Amino acid sequence: MARTATAPGAPKTLAGRAALEVDDRLIVAGPLRRTLNKVFPDHWSFLLGEIALYSFVILLLTGTYLTFFFQASMTEVTYDGSYAPLRGVDMSIAYASTLDLSFDVRGGLLIRQIHHWAALLFVASIIVHMLRIFFTGAFRRPRETNWLIGVALLVLALVEGMTGYTMPDDLLSGTGLRIISAIILSIPVIGTWAHWAVFGGDFVGDLIIGRFYIVHVLLIPAIILGLIAVHLLILVKQKHTQFPGPGRTEHNVVGSRLFPTFAGKATGLLLVVFGVCAALGGLVQINPVWLWGPYNPAQVSAASQPDWYVMFLDGSTRLFPAWDIYLPGNYNIPALFWPTLVLPGILFTLLALYPFIERKLTGDTASHHLLQRPRDVPVRTSLGVMALAFYVVLLLSGGNDVIADKFDISLNAMTWIGRIGLIILPPIAYVITYRICLGLQQHDREVLEHGIETGVIRRLPHGEFIEVHQPLGPVDEHGHGALAYGGAPVPKKMNQVGGARRAIRGFFSPIEEPAAVQLEQAGEERGLASTDPQRELTSSGRPAEGGRPSEGGRPSEGGRPSEGGRPSEGGRPQEPRD
Amino acid sequence: MSTTNPQSDTQLDEGARRSRWSRRPAEGTPAAAARARRRSKQRRRLANVAGLMAGLVLTGALYSTLAPGAQAAPEGSESSAEAAGRELYERSCISCHGENLEGVPNRGPSLIGVGEASVYFQVHTGRMPLVRQQAQGPDKPAIFSDEEIDQLMAYVQANGGGPVLPSGDLRDGDLAAGGELFRLNCSSCHNFVGEGGALSSGKYAPSLEDSNDLEIYAAMLSGPENMPVFGDNQLTPEDKRAIINYVQTITDMPDPGGAGIGRIGPVSEGLVIWVVGVAALLFGIFWMGSKA
Amino acid sequence: MTTHDTRPGSTGGADTPGPLYGGPDDDYTPEQLAALPPEELDRLGARYDGVEILHVEPGPEPGSPMEKRAVRQVGLLFALAGLSAFAFCVVYAGAGWFLPDWQWELGSSTFSTLYTPLLGLFMALAFTFFGIGLVLYTKKLLPHETAVQDKHDGSHFDRVTTGATLIGGLHNSGLKRRKLLTRSLVFMGGGLGLMLVAPLGGLIKNPNRGNPLGTTEWAEGVRLVRDDGTPIRPGDQVPGSLETVFPAVPGGNHLSDAATMLIRLRPAQQAEAVPRAGQEDFGYGDYVAYSKICTHAGCPVSLYEQETSRILCPCHQSQFDVTQGAKPIFGPATRSLPQLPITVDDEGFFVARSDYIEAVGPTYWNRERI
Repeated sequence: MARTATAPGAPKTLAGRAALEVDDRLIVAGPLRRTLNKVFPDHWSFLLGEIALYSFVILLLTGTYLTFFFQASMTEVTYDGSYAPLRGVDMSIAYASTLDLSFDVRGGLLIRQIHHWAALLFVASIIVHMLRIFFTGAFRRPRETNWLIGVALLVLALVEGMTGYTMPDDLLSGTGLRIISAIILSIPVIGTWAHWAVFGGDFVGDLIIGRFYIVHVLLIPAIILGLIAVHLLILVKQKHTQFPGPGRTEHNVVGSRLFPTFAGKATGLLLVVFGVCAALGGLVQINPVWLWGPYNPAQVSAASQPDWYVMFLDGSTRLFPAWDIYLPGNYNIPALFWPTLVLPGILFTLLALYPFIERKLTGDTASHHLLQRPRDVPVRTSLGVMALAFYVVLLLSGGNDVIADKFDISLNAMTWIGRIGLIILPPIAYVITYRICLGLQQHDREVLEHGIETGVIRRLPHGEFIEVHQPLGPVDEHGHGALAYGGAPVPKKMNQVGGARRAIRGFFSPIEEPAAVQLEQAGEERGLASTDPQRELTSSGRPAEGGRPSEGGRPSEGGRPSEGGRPSEGGRPQEPRD
Repeated sequence: MSTTNPQSDTQLDEGARRSRWSRRPAEGTPAAAARARRRSKQRRRLANVAGLMAGLVLTGALYSTLAPGAQAAPEGSESSAEAAGRELYERSCISCHGENLEGVPNRGPSLIGVGEASVYFQVHTGRMPLVRQQAQGPDKPAIFSDEEIDQLMAYVQANGGGPVLPSGDLRDGDLAAGGELFRLNCSSCHNFVGEGGALSSGKYAPSLEDSNDLEIYAAMLSGPENMPVFGDNQLTPEDKRAIINYVQTITDMPDPGGAGIGRIGPVSEGLVIWVVGVAALLFGIFWMGSKA
Repeated sequence: MTTHDTRPGSTGGADTPGPLYGGPDDDYTPEQLAALPPEELDRLGARYDGVEILHVEPGPEPGSPMEKRAVRQVGLLFALAGLSAFAFCVVYAGAGWFLPDWQWELGSSTFSTLYTPLLGLFMALAFTFFGIGLVLYTKKLLPHETAVQDKHDGSHFDRVTTGATLIGGLHNSGLKRRKLLTRSLVFMGGGLGLMLVAPLGGLIKNPNRGNPLGTTEWAEGVRLVRDDGTPIRPGDQVPGSLETVFPAVPGGNHLSDAATMLIRLRPAQQAEAVPRAGQEDFGYGDYVAYSKICTHAGCPVSLYEQETSRILCPCHQSQFDVTQGAKPIFGPATRSLPQLPITVDDEGFFVARSDYIEAVGPTYWNRERI
């Protein structure tokens, strides 16, 4: 250390000296450089998970603020705050403090609404992220662990959302709590015992809000935080997947480094997510508990629903037929048990086990770092769309009374539409998706074989009209392309292969001059191929296996470990040095 | 309109327009009296404006002399309003409700005992006359003028009897108590904030947003269609006024938290998070991921 | 190094520097590194992390119109973000000071209604402008590099050596041979595990003591009262009406299982009424009283359609027919709403003849056994 401190190139600036002092103590320069150098793929869909992460950050920040004012107590008080229509009404302290938080705390309503919107966004972005992972096959070996963690996070997010929804003890959430109580009661054998354990007695008691509170603010957030940490650590360790493309192999990641490009974009996204939540929180009213009124077991409102992420379970409950199962000895299994506990149990188990199921079915046990296009795996894609159709029918059924009311459809008809749709729509979705996948596949192959349709019609000497096709690569004596499909998008328009100008930008109207585009295009000689002739494409997609771009490019010859010489990292013993 | 507001006259006009009071009824009819009472309530709120007190007293006097006269017309000697009402009845209602209000099987119920409250509600909200037989008469712009409605009311009241329309300030009740009563008795069908909701097999509880005080009162009193009846011994007139006060306060109340998105809770919130929130962010990351 | 001490037995170290990490530090002397320009150092470090920068498209030419335009754009966005943030602070702190009061009440000023939307708007603008500015910055002003990072599979060497360490440790412990230890360890583990879980036993209560699920506060002679505690006479309701009633006990209107619907049937309904077997005399005249708590999931059912005699539950749309003993006729509910036997006491007020004869509310495992 002494050597660096006095060595040439020792920092002279204040910041540099401070950094040196820090590194002397913590030895972080190496790990920090490795982190800053981590390469992130450029594709937009890799940012979906980050939206979920940033929503969670918002939830932690706003949630902490809310705890300063919220009191999770079910003791009855008479309201005497600034909201006149409830003045003099008996309510729990939890509800009263939510009202105070909304009306008597400066900016409290904004934070409360941001918190609720961020919660809705959190679950929504988890699901969108998960769909991306599923449809591209990013859950395959070696990433099953992270898939399992993801499913666990989703379930925890649902439970977290549900406990948070219950907090204000208003008439809407209280009705939800009543249903939760009934669901717990419906568990065979231990139902009543479980209910007594959770609620501390019969419904509603005076403990449940306090218990849910600690679960909501400490227990589940801590678990979620821990799981997110593991999720990200595994991601860093395994590195990102990527879509197939020029220069992209199973053994590398192509993109930009964390610092500064990706860090800039990620911070930008963080801010935009904050912005969207703040906009929703300020401009769109969410869960106006003052309109709902305090909870009273004798009161209810038409169209009582849970938040959207639990709505699919409400939907399944609405659709499930009235089937109590009576067992000998006068025991019975209530109808409520199946759609609220068994169904989600099956759904989440299937979701969690999907990587293993697929591995069993396909026999594909290899490690995969290159993603698949959904069309190339028609069975998985169709299964996914089928599950999605099932889910969407349940979700819509969760709001079927509102749909019935707003669109003048009979409520009973909505129930039957849901029941029938739940059974027939998923297979239809499967078949249609499968056909679409095959069609897209075929078109890719066709373009590779015959080239891009140029739209140029030529008349041959003997009178035949043909359309001129632009081959994508070398052709054989029949004019058929020799390129094999490599899992990457196949260009299907002339401007995608530089044969025409790229499209003029502009959403509704052009925002640039066609001439400028031409000019820009003329000077454009970029891309991997232009800098590295070795890496020229041999197919439309991935280059030949083993074409590791950095081979031979290392500064130290002779197989020196790349991670600073620690044997555990490099894995090869160091050569004797002189 | 429940606030002490110097602009209450404009508000009154708005309320009048919203409730489709297209033209002023002739003085002396019950609807006009009700309208006058509504106005008088508005004015009473401006208690310190002494000049208006005279109008109030005048209106009160006008009411007390005319209103009982309209209702207490002795049998046999039909008043002119009743005669006009009979004419209207025979033109528009008789085919379903029968010659003597007794109803026609499978077409229309008997109107004996429904009272002027029911007539006011059904005709003023445009539910009657029905365009065709259906599960539930939808509300639409009233076909009859207020004067004609008054005549119909007089006719049905004189020949069938039943609940009569209330008098006085229909919002003269405790706001919070009205809220409790509303949540206990009304919100199960009409939703927390009077948005309405679906009932079985295509029927629905209508939204209370555009209803005026008298319509709500008349509905509680008469129990139109599938709505249960809330007689005066069940919900006292004070209770009904408290409920009306709550409903109208809530419906007129602005949303302090931003756009109300229908005030129907999680369904519209879920729609917004997907259509606005997730869509905006997807657009954002798509733009971020695209090359400069 | 002033605490340097070389006397025998002292803990001071030698004054010669110890070996550095080896690896790159052996390959590159400080002098060599000092001679390299920063870009080279950057690339060098990246190579050690398995990252190769294949291609860098430089940012806009310094001083070029393109750069100027981009800088103006980004600067403007940052400035707008700052402006919005300050506007947020002005609205936040200024309300009730030089701006109208922020506190929203019925009939208060428009400003108080707009207070939260304004705060949200400015906060959103601040974040979003900043975010968009930052993204534009990276897109328009930073060089675009295409980097490739190597992925390493697990190392065979690591596996073998780590395995050896683990196996060695296990072998040395001799647990395989020392059966007594293994068994006692297992025994202890079980005990400790149980001990740690045991305190959760405090949560467990007996749900069957006193049959709380099967009984309510209703009992013989308990009056049916309204929410405000007033008793009800048979003349109070008109045909086709529904009233939510509670037992006349303290706090009766907040009990979770006692709410009851007192319904007066219309003559037509009464004529076609088919009460449940054995419960024909539970009503009183044209009055019937059913539990308001849904037998499906416990929501209060009270969407009463007096013409079709249906009661709808707003949670899961179960429908019950009051003329058929509140039998479920649609939706997921399986059981009729329990009927409360009612009569009229000496003073002419409704009273219950007994408690419900079955458990009210949602079904559970041993419901039929009580």
